[in-house]
Amino acid sequence: MNVTLAVKQYVSKMIENSGPGMKVLLMDRETTSIVSVVYTQSEILQKEVYLFERIDSQNRDSMKHLKAICFLRPTKENVQHLIQELRRPKYSVYFIYFSNVISKSEIKALAEADEQEVVAEVQEFYGDFIAVNPHLFSLNLQGVSRGQSWEPSMLARSTQGLTAVLLALKKCPMIRYQLSSDMSKRLAESVKQIITKEYELFDFRKTEVPPLLLILDRSDDAITPLLNQWTYQAMVHELLGLNNNRIDLSRVPGISKDLREVVLSAENDEFYANNLYLNFGEIGTNIKNLMEDFQKKRPKGQQKLECIADMKAFVDNYPQFKKMSGTVSKHVTVVGELSRLVSERQLMEVSEVEQELACQNDHSNAQQSVRRLMQNPRLSELDAVRLVMLYALRYERHSSSILPSLMDELSRRGVSERHRRMVQAVVDYGGKRVRGSDLITPTDAVAITKQFFRGLKGVENVYAQHQPLLHDTLDQLIKGRLKDSQFPYLGASSLRDRPQDIIMFVIGGATYEEALTVYNLNRSTPGVRIILGGTNIHNTKSFLEEVMSATSHSCDRSQGSSRHGNRR
Amino acid sequence: MASSYPPPFEGTGEVKEGFLCPLCLKDLQSFYQLQDHYEEEHSGDDRHVRGQLKSLVQKAKKAKDKLLKRDGEDRPDTGSYESFYYGGVDPYMWEPQELGRTRSHLDLFKKHRAARIDHYVIEVNKLIIRLEKLTSFDRTNSDAGKIRAIEKSVVSWVNDSDVPFCPDCGNKFNIRNRRHHCRLCGSIMCRKCMEFVPLPLAQKLINGTREALCVPGSPSQSTSPPAVGGSSGTMSRRGSITSLSSVTSMLEEKDDEKIRCCHHCMDTLLKRQEKLEEKDHVPDVVKLYERLRMCMQKVDEKAPEYIRMAESLNAGETTYNLDTAGGLRLEVQKYYELIDALSKRILTLGVKDDPQPHPKALQLQRMVRYTATLFVQEKLLGLMSLPTKEKYEELKEQRKQEQEKRLQQERLASQEALKRRQESERNRPPVSTNGEVPQAPRAPRMTKAGGWLPTADSTSVRSELEDPLLQQIENIQSFLRQAREAQRADEVAMLEENLRQLQDEYDQQQTSIAIALSQKLAEEEDLQQGEIQRLEAREREERERLGHPVILTPPSFTWERSLRINTTGFQGEDDTETEELTPKAEKSPSSVRAFPALATQEESPPRLRSLGGHVTPPGVDGQSSTSLNPFDEEETTPLEEDPSNPFSEDIKGENKVAANGKKEYNPFDEDEDVEEDKQAETVPGNPFEEEEEADAGNPFTEASGNSLGASTNPFEGDNDENLPDLDMIEEELLLQQINNIRAYIFDAKHSGRLDEVELLSQNLKELQQTLQDQKQKKH
Repeated sequence: MNVTLAVKQYVSKMIENSGPGMKVLLMDRETTSIVSVVYTQSEILQKEVYLFERIDSQNRDSMKHLKAICFLRPTKENVQHLIQELRRPKYSVYFIYFSNVISKSEIKALAEADEQEVVAEVQEFYGDFIAVNPHLFSLNLQGVSRGQSWEPSMLARSTQGLTAVLLALKKCPMIRYQLSSDMSKRLAESVKQIITKEYELFDFRKTEVPPLLLILDRSDDAITPLLNQWTYQAMVHELLGLNNNRIDLSRVPGISKDLREVVLSAENDEFYANNLYLNFGEIGTNIKNLMEDFQKKRPKGQQKLECIADMKAFVDNYPQFKKMSGTVSKHVTVVGELSRLVSERQLMEVSEVEQELACQNDHSNAQQSVRRLMQNPRLSELDAVRLVMLYALRYERHSSSILPSLMDELSRRGVSERHRRMVQAVVDYGGKRVRGSDLITPTDAVAITKQFFRGLKGVENVYAQHQPLLHDTLDQLIKGRLKDSQFPYLGASSLRDRPQDIIMFVIGGATYEEALTVYNLNRSTPGVRIILGGTNIHNTKSFLEEVMSATSHSCDRSQGSSRHGNRR
Repeated sequence: MASSYPPPFEGTGEVKEGFLCPLCLKDLQSFYQLQDHYEEEHSGDDRHVRGQLKSLVQKAKKAKDKLLKRDGEDRPDTGSYESFYYGGVDPYMWEPQELGRTRSHLDLFKKHRAARIDHYVIEVNKLIIRLEKLTSFDRTNSDAGKIRAIEKSVVSWVNDSDVPFCPDCGNKFNIRNRRHHCRLCGSIMCRKCMEFVPLPLAQKLINGTREALCVPGSPSQSTSPPAVGGSSGTMSRRGSITSLSSVTSMLEEKDDEKIRCCHHCMDTLLKRQEKLEEKDHVPDVVKLYERLRMCMQKVDEKAPEYIRMAESLNAGETTYNLDTAGGLRLEVQKYYELIDALSKRILTLGVKDDPQPHPKALQLQRMVRYTATLFVQEKLLGLMSLPTKEKYEELKEQRKQEQEKRLQQERLASQEALKRRQESERNRPPVSTNGEVPQAPRAPRMTKAGGWLPTADSTSVRSELEDPLLQQIENIQSFLRQAREAQRADEVAMLEENLRQLQDEYDQQQTSIAIALSQKLAEEEDLQQGEIQRLEAREREERERLGHPVILTPPSFTWERSLRINTTGFQGEDDTETEELTPKAEKSPSSVRAFPALATQEESPPRLRSLGGHVTPPGVDGQSSTSLNPFDEEETTPLEEDPSNPFSEDIKGENKVAANGKKEYNPFDEDEDVEEDKQAETVPGNPFEEEEEADAGNPFTEASGNSLGASTNPFEGDNDENLPDLDMIEEELLLQQINNIRAYIFDAKHSGRLDEVELLSQNLKELQQTLQDQKQKKH
C-alpha cells in the first residue's frame, strides 16, 4: 500500500533489468516528475544511471556505449518519438517501459521501426502517478472540470492514473463514489471499465476483505483548501508552493545560489521525515535543536589543528556532518522564510479567524472578526479574499449575511476584479447547492470542539481546530457506517465487513491537511491502511485556479489546462 | 493539528511491563538480556535516539502549546531534534510489498520485429552481394562501356521510358536533367538525388560482412590487409584522375572509384557500416569505467569486512587482529585512491581534444566522476578508525571488567543451571560498540602467529603481482593479442620473441627465489627444532626495537628486502596503462611500510591472486587445463585447517561455546568465557591471566607477558601450549611455500620449459616431505 515504494520498486527493477554498465534514462515530461519525486539524483547515480534525457529532446548525441532505459507514458507523441529513436538508435540497447497500458498496434509500429534490433525489453510498469508520500499520490492535473462535468482528456488521464495505482499496489477494489457528484460516478465507471477490460491484469490474489476505492469530489469540501496551514508540509505548500517535493525559493530575499530550489523529500531527509506533520511551533524548536546539534558536531577551527583525535572524530563523522550541514541550512532557510511570511502577513491573526469561521457556529462573532480584520491594512489581498470566501461558504444562506458589505470592503481595499469574482466562483463551485454532505452543521462543529477540548485539557489551540470533512467520511467508512445512499457502490456487490485497505481519490485535488488526517488515521486505527490521492495536491492558490477554470468554462478553459505542471 | 495527535501510547491497547526494549517493545527476560538485545539490534541507530526516548513524554505534552509560545521556551534536556512515533501503523512502516503488476510485450514485439528484420537482412545482403560483384573487376582499366555492361548484368535497370519524373524530387527528366540508374537496385533518379558509394566503403562493407560470417578468432580472416591496401590504392590514384573525371562526368560518367546508387540503398549501407564499426569499437570511457566499477566492487566487498573488524576491535573484542584490520584498511584505502584517480581520468577524457566532445559526453563524464566522489565520500570517510595499541589494551581491560561484573550479577540473579545456559548464549555478545571508544590490544600470540604465516604467503603474491617482469609480460601479452587481432604477422613474431625472453628471465628469477627460500626453510626448520628459545628472544628484541607487535623473523626479513627491490623497480617503470589495468592493493612506497600489517591478512592473498588472474586473461587463456592452475590454489588455501588463522578462531570460539564450562588452555582461544571462568577460578601463573592484567600502556610488558608468560623461560608452565603453536606456524609456512612453488611450476609449464618444471617439482616433493615429517613429529 506504499505508493512511494511501489514507484521506487518499479524504477529500480527497470534499472536492474538492464544489467551493469553506464545507462541513460529516457523519459517524458510526466515520467520525469514521477521518477524525480521518489529518487534523488545521487541515489539514481549509484545505480549507474548517469544521464537523464527527455525523449523529445533534440540535443542528444549518439552514445553507443550507453544503455537506454525508456520510461514513458504511452501517449501518441511518445510512441512517435520512440519510433524515430529506434530508426536511428543513439544508444546500444533499449529497455522500454510504458507507464500504462499500451495498444497492440503501437507495439507493432515500434517493432517495425526496430530494424537494428536494439530493443531488449518492452514492458508495462504501472508507475503512472506522482507518489508524494507513502500514503499520498497526485496526478498533477489542473483544471479537471468544466462546470460540473469532466474535461474529457482529464477523465482519461485520471482513469489511467487511478488504475495504475491499483495495479502498482496490486489491488482490485470494490468502488464507491459520491452520489452528489456526477464526476465521481463517471470516473468510477471509467475505472470499472478498465478493470473489466484488462481483467487479466487485475487478477490478484484474493484477500479476505476486498480493498475499497472511494471516489470523492472536491466540491463537497471547498473549505479545507482555503485555510491557512500550520503543519510543516502543508504550510510549505501553502506559503511557498511544493511542486513535486521541490520548493522554489528564488523569490526569497537574499537567498544563496544553491538554495534557490530545494528538495523536501521524506525519503532522504531525516529531519523532514520527522517533522513533516508537526506544527510550526514544534518545528521552530526542532530546528533550534538541529542547529545546536550541528554546532556541537562542527569542529572548532583551533581544535582541529591542535588535536589529532578531534580531527579524526571529525573525519569519522564527516558524511553525516556534511549531510547535516546541508539539512541545517535548508531547513533554517525554509523555516526562516515561513516565519517571515507569517509575521509579514499576520497569519496568526488571519488563521485564528479562519478557524473560527470554519469551525464555530456563531455568526455575530464571526462577522465581527472578519470585519475587524478587513480593517487591518497589513492583510494581504489573498488573505482578505480568502476570509470573505470562507464567510460566504459558511454563512451562505444566513439571514443576516454581511457578504455584500464585505464585497464592498474588498473593492475599497483595491482587491482586483479577478479576485473578487473568485468569491462567487467558489460559492458556485462548493456552495450548498452542490454539496452532498453536511460540510457545516452545528453538531459537527460541536463534536469537533468537544474533541478538541478533550485533547488539549482546556488549552485551546485555535489554529488547529479544523478537521477536514474527509476525516468524518473516513471515520464512518472505517466503522462501516458510511451511508450507501450518499456513497453507493458501483455494481451489485457491496462490502459486508469493515474495509481494511482503502484508496481514496479526490477529484479536483486533495490537500496536505487531508493527507495529515489520513496519516493520523493510519496510525491510530489498527488493521486499516488508507492512501489518499487526488488529481492534484492543492494549496489555496492552485485551488482557486482550479475553481476558476471549473466555473468560467468558456473563457478560462485553455488557460487552465495549460497551467498544470507549473502551479505555484 | 495538535488536536489530532493522540496522547502518547493511547493507541496501544495493552500495557506491557518488564524488560521491554524501548525501541521494538520486545519483551526480554532479564536486564542483561535486554542490554544485549539493545546492543545487538539497535547499536547502529543514532545514539540520539536514546536521549530522545527519555524526552518523549515531555515533548508530547509540550507539543500542544508550542504554537502559542514557540520561541520563548528552551528545552535544554532534549539534546536532539528527531521525532518519535505514538504507536499505530505509520505509513512509512507499512510492511514491505512486492513489485507491482507488470506486463511484458516483448514476445509480441519480437514477433513483429522478426518479420521485419528478415526482410531487412535480405535487403542488406542483396545489396552487399551486388556491391561485391560491382567491385570484383578492375574498374580503372576497363572502359566505360564494359563497366556499364557489367553493371547492367548485376541488376536489371528500370526502363527509362517508365520513369518520366524523378521519384524522389519529382523533377521532370529531359535532356538537361538526365536519368541515372542506381547500380544496386536499378532504380532511376536524377543527378541531384544520386549518391555514390566510394570504393573503400564498399570494400569495408563486403569484408565486414564476410568477417562476421567467419568464426571469430579463426586466423583465416586475413581480409583486412587487402582492404587497407585497396583503400590506399584508390587514394593514390585519386589525385591523377580527379581532373579527368570531373571533365568526363559532365559528359558520360565513368565511375571508376565509386558506385552510384540511390539514397535508399546508400542509407541501408551506411547503417550497415555504422553497425560494423560499433562492433569492435570500445571507447576509452568504457574501458576506464569498467576498471572503476571493479574497484568499487572490491571496496563493497572489503569495506564491510573491515568495519566488522574495526567494530569488534573498538569494542575490545579479540576476534580479530588489530594488524590484520590495519592492513585491510590500507588495502581499502588504496582502492579508494584508485577510484579517485580513475574517475579523474574519466572526467578529463577528451577535454583537450580539438573538436570538443559532445556536451552530453562531457556531462556523462562529469556524472561518473561525481558518483565516484560520492562513493568515496560516503564509504571511505565512513571507515571508522582503529584504536591505537594502547587504547585497545584499555578497551580490552574495560570490556573484561564489564563482563566480570555482568557475570557476577548474572550469577546472583539466576540459578546455577539457568545461568549456565545464559552464559553460553551470551558467549560472544556484540559489545557496546560506540564507534569512538577504543579498546585494549589483542592477544599477542595471535599477533605472532598472524605475523608469521601470511608473511610468506602475501609476499609471494606481492612479488608475483608487482614484479616488473610480470608487468612487462602482461603488457606484451596484451600487445600480442592486439597484434594477432590486427593480423600483423611480423609484429606478432617480434612480440612473441620478446615475450619468451622475458618469461625466461622471470622464471629464472623465480626459481632462484624459490630455491633460496626452500633452503632458508630447511635451515630454519633445524633452527626451529633446537632454538625456539633463542628465536623467541629475538622476536622480543625485534618487537622492542620496532615498537610494533608484529614479529619479523629472519626469513620474512629477506622477503621484505626482496620486495623492496621489486617495488622500487616497479616504480621505475612508467607504463601507467597496465599499472591501472591491474588494480593492486598496494603499489606505492607506502605499501612497504604497510607491509607487515598487511602480511597478517589471511584472506587477501587468494583474492589478490584471483584478481590478477582475472585481469590478465592472455596468460591463463586456454592453458588452464593443468591441475596446478592458480585458481586451484585459491580453493585450497582457505580449506587448510590453519589454527592460527584469525578466522578459524571464530569457529574455534564457537566450538568452545559448545563445550562451555570446561577449562582448557587453548592458546588460541580468547573468548571471554574462558577468561570469566578463569577469573572465577584464578589459576595462578597462567600466562594469559598475566597478560590481561598487564599494564595496558606499555607495549613491552604486554609483549613479554604474552609470548613468554610471567617467567623468562618459555618452556616453563606453558610449554606444551607454545610448542604446537610454533609447529603449526611452521607447517603453515610450508604449505604456503608449496603453494608458491606450485604456482611457479604452473608458470614454467605455461611457458614450456620442462627442465624447470622438473626442478621445481623436485623442490615441491622435498617440501611436501618436510611437511609430512613435521606432521608426524607433531603427533
